[in-house]
Amino acid sequence: MEDKARKRGLGLNPLSAIAQMDRIPGQVGYLLLNEEGAVISSAGELENDEKSADIIMGLIMLASQIDSEAYPNYEGFKKLSINYEGHSYVVCLSNRKIHIVKKLNSVDSVAVSV
Amino acid sequence: MEKQLDRVMDDVLSNPGVIGCVFADHQGLCLGAKGKASTDSAGIIGAITDQAAKLEPQHKSPVIVLENDTRTCIIQRSGTITGAIYKNI
Repeated sequence: MEDKARKRGLGLNPLSAIAQMDRIPGQVGYLLLNEEGAVISSAGELENDEKSADIIMGLIMLASQIDSEAYPNYEGFKKLSINYEGHSYVVCLSNRKIHIVKKLNSVDSVAVSV
Repeated sequence: MEKQLDRVMDDVLSNPGVIGCVFADHQGLCLGAKGKASTDSAGIIGAITDQAAKLEPQHKSPVIVLENDTRTCIIQRSGTITGAIYKNI
């Protein structure tokens, strides 16, 4: 069964994407949105957090308009992170869905140093 | 003030990997831009920091990082001034 799920490919099945986000070290909450910004799934501190979802959708719209001179062959951004002192939000677009993870910074630095 | 900001921008550009920087005031008006950065993006970086600040208004302004395979853009507000630095990875 597990092999079958693996063959289906990561991120193709929304359930597998959720399982992946659950395993991120230091993760304290996540949101999975569709292209329109509607919440497909959420957990932890971001559970049903539509306000944060709206704000981050606004950020993605703004980020797509950034500097044409610094990015002449515009490819778009792959990752957007919003870093506070103790924690950060990481936003990725994949498989026509928006993945948002809230994680603690300290756990991240421990993982890097190991 | 322009001379000081000019010097800061030269300092920023002298760091390895930095290709450009732009600074905006609290209204999103451009204070200065150097390297591969257009003055037109001042409004956008101001708007991005305003939007990000809404996420957790109780905390101080966050650092916003936009990345693709080749470039990084780092944005932060300090007081009334917002700065954006463009870097090659």
